[in-house]
Amino acid sequence: MTSPEVRVLVSSGRHPVSGRSGAAREDARAVEMALALAGEGVTLLHAGDPADASLRYYLGMFHEVPGLPSVGRVGRLDLLSMPAESDATSLLAEQLRHAGASLVLTGMRSEIGEGSGLLPYLLAERLGWNLVAGVAAIEHCDSESATILQALPQGQRRRLSVRLPCIATVDRAAPAPRQSAHGPARRGQIRVIEPQESAGVALDEPRGQWRFEPARVRPKRLKVVKGGSARERMRAAASTGGGGGGRVLSDLDPEAAADELIRYLESERVLQ
Amino acid sequence: MSSGIIVRRDPRAERIRRNRLHPRHHEFCQPAARWMGPNGVMRRNPHTVAAIGPNGLRRLDRSGATVTGGPSLRSVNDESHEQRRQVTLESPDFLVAVVPECPEGRLSSHDRDLFGLARQLADRDPASSGAVVAITFDHNAPELADAGADRWLALDDDSYAGYSPETRLTALETVARSWSPRHWLLPDGPAVGSDLGRRLAVRLAGLQPGSEEARAAARVWQVDGDHCICRGGGEHRDIHRPLPQVVLALAECAEPVSETRHEARPITLDTAPVPSIRRVTDHGRVAVDPSCIALDQAPFILAGGRGIGDWPGFHETARLLGAAEGASRVAVDDGYMPRARQVGATGTFVTAGCYIAVGISGAVQHLQGIEHCQRVVAINSDPGCDMVRRADLALIGNGDAILAAVAARLEARQHEEYRHDVA
Amino acid sequence: MDQLLSVLIPAALIVGALGAWRRVRLWRQGRPAAVNLLQGMLRMPRRYLVDLHHVVARDRYIAHTHVATAGGFVAAMALAIVVHVLGVENVVMAGLLGLAGLTMLVGTLFVARRRLEPPARLSKGAWQRLPKSLMAFSLGMLLVSLPLGGLVPEGAASVLTTLVLGVLVGWGLLELVVGMGWGGPMKHAFAGAAHLAFHRRPERFSDVSGEGRHPGSRSTALLPLDLDSEQAPGSEQSMGVARPDEFGWQQLLGFDACVQCGRCEAACPAHAAGQPLNPKKLIQDMVIGMAGGSDAHYAGTPYTGQTTGEHGGAPGERIVPQLVEPETLWSCTTCRACVEECPMMIEHVDAIVDMRRFLTLEDGATPEKGAVALDNLIATDNPGGFDNASRLDWAADLELPRIRERPEGVDVLLWLGDGAFDMRNQRTLRSLVTVMRAAGVDFAVVGEEERDSGDLARRLGDEATFQQLARQNIATLSQYRFARIVTCDPHSFHVLGREYPDFGGHYRVLHHSGLLAELIDEQRLQLAPAASGSSLTWHDPCYLGRYNGEFEAPRRVLRALGMEVREMARSGHRSRCCGGGGGAALTDVPGKQRISDMRMGDARDTGAEVVAVGCPQCTAMLEGVVEPGPQVLDLAELVARALVVSEHNSSTLREPQEEVPA
Repeated sequence: MTSPEVRVLVSSGRHPVSGRSGAAREDARAVEMALALAGEGVTLLHAGDPADASLRYYLGMFHEVPGLPSVGRVGRLDLLSMPAESDATSLLAEQLRHAGASLVLTGMRSEIGEGSGLLPYLLAERLGWNLVAGVAAIEHCDSESATILQALPQGQRRRLSVRLPCIATVDRAAPAPRQSAHGPARRGQIRVIEPQESAGVALDEPRGQWRFEPARVRPKRLKVVKGGSARERMRAAASTGGGGGGRVLSDLDPEAAADELIRYLESERVLQ
Repeated sequence: MSSGIIVRRDPRAERIRRNRLHPRHHEFCQPAARWMGPNGVMRRNPHTVAAIGPNGLRRLDRSGATVTGGPSLRSVNDESHEQRRQVTLESPDFLVAVVPECPEGRLSSHDRDLFGLARQLADRDPASSGAVVAITFDHNAPELADAGADRWLALDDDSYAGYSPETRLTALETVARSWSPRHWLLPDGPAVGSDLGRRLAVRLAGLQPGSEEARAAARVWQVDGDHCICRGGGEHRDIHRPLPQVVLALAECAEPVSETRHEARPITLDTAPVPSIRRVTDHGRVAVDPSCIALDQAPFILAGGRGIGDWPGFHETARLLGAAEGASRVAVDDGYMPRARQVGATGTFVTAGCYIAVGISGAVQHLQGIEHCQRVVAINSDPGCDMVRRADLALIGNGDAILAAVAARLEARQHEEYRHDVA
Repeated sequence: MDQLLSVLIPAALIVGALGAWRRVRLWRQGRPAAVNLLQGMLRMPRRYLVDLHHVVARDRYIAHTHVATAGGFVAAMALAIVVHVLGVENVVMAGLLGLAGLTMLVGTLFVARRRLEPPARLSKGAWQRLPKSLMAFSLGMLLVSLPLGGLVPEGAASVLTTLVLGVLVGWGLLELVVGMGWGGPMKHAFAGAAHLAFHRRPERFSDVSGEGRHPGSRSTALLPLDLDSEQAPGSEQSMGVARPDEFGWQQLLGFDACVQCGRCEAACPAHAAGQPLNPKKLIQDMVIGMAGGSDAHYAGTPYTGQTTGEHGGAPGERIVPQLVEPETLWSCTTCRACVEECPMMIEHVDAIVDMRRFLTLEDGATPEKGAVALDNLIATDNPGGFDNASRLDWAADLELPRIRERPEGVDVLLWLGDGAFDMRNQRTLRSLVTVMRAAGVDFAVVGEEERDSGDLARRLGDEATFQQLARQNIATLSQYRFARIVTCDPHSFHVLGREYPDFGGHYRVLHHSGLLAELIDEQRLQLAPAASGSSLTWHDPCYLGRYNGEFEAPRRVLRALGMEVREMARSGHRSRCCGGGGGAALTDVPGKQRISDMRMGDARDTGAEVVAVGCPQCTAMLEGVVEPGPQVLDLAELVARALVVSEHNSSTLREPQEEVPA
């Protein structure tokens, strides 16, 4: 099986504790998934500031892992030079159209800026490609189609097959990214592509009217108990989660308790 | 005080008795069984201390055997609290479309919040009344009336089953063309549930390029008048922006509807959606080994604590139940379980639909960790422990023995099924 | 006979020299490094006689044996050349030759006795042959000298005896002279001499300890990796050591000098805990890698859980995992017990860190929790991933003065270390602050600007992150004025004091034991005498003791507290590691038991009620041991407990005084 050409859209992330820029965690998972799938056939793609050092983190992931395809000595990243705060959609779409890649992986949402998670959808719409969201694993991929495991809540999985070309967004449930090593990070090649006149980087105008503020702490929702007496409302507010309503069965022998448990699990459809 | 009995006054009770509007007035307004009369004589109320005798006559019981009627034991969840005002709307001025995710075929609390937000938008202006249209891809969505939907479009064709983003999108597009809802509300969350909303957002934006109104707002957590607040990437910034047509809202974006009940009147589309080519094929759910699911995502957890003596038996039962294994901090500290399996504030917060705690008394940190579990079963030898109090079902007894009995039953059942299959 | 010897000896010397030349070429496969050949040669005898024998003499038996055997051999060989090759035959020379042979024979008998029932740490195989070869040579030389000295008539030798003698001497020459060059047990003499002459860390020897890179130190600082020059575009050179030929040539030479005495093996805590590391085997594996081949002929204790014969290597091939499994490298706690014990002054820890550097910097193969810690260090400046701004949260009520508010400078800059995020270590820090306030020490803390010293990153092989942290810390410290740095973390103490100079940070750094000893000596602390009969034992932290030679100050403090200080079986420079150094607590390679449990066992055996520690890592490791056992208390806590708060001192204790509303 020849390894398919895979592009990974990466962006710089923001560390949740220190706020320092670094790799975006979902994008790193996308890179891991791509490297595990295609090895040397992976090229990273980013639109933004060429001086962004955090992109080197992804290049540092281009090292061998036993049992996975060889990734070569030098990672490649195509960087579409673009002023911050502008719309990357048309630039990236043009690049992907001409790059000849059939599979594009990326995280679900950016960690900086708007973080709306709409970019993959805009790209897919513009390119007329398929899109699969929330990928946990790619089981198989050839030049025509890919078989994908999609992550569902509570650790469940759904198997999908999709025709290429396709954009896939990678879920947090995907395998954790490999370590980024200093050597390959410094060796990796960043090819800066200056946008052509015709491409015309669109400044993101509507965004200019938005107001960006430090995130407010969202109020914790209280268990609102409408009506009733003050005492009842007070009791409901003070009770610790759902207590009180349970059945307590004592003086059962283990056999009877086991029956009771199995019956309960069946009635709640936990056990089939 | 001729009788020598000191009867203490209860000013609060007196106050409540005087106040007819007090919610507990009915409890207190019943005359007390006995009270100190104005001239110091003890009075009895024959209505409360008397009982109907065997011959049908009311008798005053002087033996003191009958308990005096205290506050009535009416349930806290009085039916009157559940009474909702029925709202019907015949000719709405505009529509607010809600596409709930309905995981597992039921409205999630996130979906209910979304309807709450929809009502907020629909009822904002008393002059023009909006109707909330629920669009589901499932025939069974019975709670829509309570959730706040005035109309209900059920698209329950087979082509919408499973993961079918293209067909669903085409249907929503048809809705948009036919009825032009003023707003579209779809859930936004960490998982794949927010997929359809983004597809719709991009599709509708494509229909009216350049319009700011068409640029969807994602991760909305508050709507205030014409503006909404979106949580930016990386959770560190809020974006205040005008409310657009398509709103992808986070959980707890609004209070769910609780005071009114709506029609959820079924409606249908006049023009059938153009069938689209399915380029993504859904091959269905994949069996996942529960022990491989990360603890925070596991739907069913069997957790053991200090009360477990027979750990091999515990593992065996977990395997037979198909449950992921969890543990209390003590069990991890004692080396019976790996650190990654520790449940609680100092370990992993779990979201299981069903959580069985065996031999875990329920430290505060542990109870915090299972706050989001829907059903909790406690198996413990101590009926007074906090875990039993928290549990929906508590079985008092020896954890090892009960688990062994469960394992024996499940094994026998599997054996039977196997024989059945072979035959 | 004479003719035979006059042929045999030069032949052996020539063949031996050819072998030696081949050996030199093997060493020179390593990365080049300039050395002063002549100076090295001249320094070698003194280094051998003083520094090396200082280590060897810890085992008196083998020291004496070695003096007799080696001395006898060198003398006998030199005399034999004079007598038999140069033809200076007289009674005096013959007598001397006989004496040398006899001395050697006596030594050899002791070697042989040792080899009758050799301790487990000694390698067998070819080494079991050595006493016989030595005996053959010494006996041969002794017998040959007899007719020359006139003790036996000239003509007494029959053809048979001549033949027997010839075989004896020939065997001896083959093992001792030819084998010295071509490999075999006696290789250690040639390689060892060269190793002493061209040692990569000349500061370890008394002749140059006052000069060089780290004057006056025990030369325990890791050598920096030049991250810039090695990253030349198109260069195939990778960072760290992936293949044997990527070691420095002096390192290869050092490996070749190993005598497989197994003292490192006996000292290694990871080996004792049943982790797959044996320093002796590791050095032998490096020799195998240098010369090419498999480890099937290794005749010592293998790595626990592995069998010999399954691994092999060559100079140009990857070491991991063909030759050495990664778990072996990650088992090391960098405690330097092996280096301290090695009579050949081999640098095991340097080699392990060099190989770890490749694994981390090039292969991205740091064990999982180690990799997480490195990511945290890059993102948050501390390995736990805490908000660095919360470094002083524990001290909110102490109102510690910040150095940035003291532009005029302070005497002591208190370096908190990453223990500031650990609730247990916060107790230690509180005690230290109490004591310093009681003594009226003029101090301040760096606070939020302090970053991890980089110790963990460096020992895990992430030199890039270490250098980044080092440069940032040095830049921070350069803004402030202080006389000295005090820290209660021996790792920070070592790194700030010994490893930052390579990056331009020169500070006077004190471990808090040093400061406490100083305060006690100057009688600035009033200490209440301890209850009589209470006893404690001091656990020497590796990075304080072995790395920096500070054994005395903590003991002085403990004695001043009036408690009986009992010594553990392994203490001082032979102290056993707690198991937490070098990132070993994170890499967490499974073994048969835990190092900390063994160490707590040592402490229990003394019967002391308290094991006094001076390192946050040791505290965490030893407190993690299941009870019952002695209580683990930091030196600062012990001093703070004994503190008598007098009227005079109490005012400083309460500092800063509450403001009185006007």
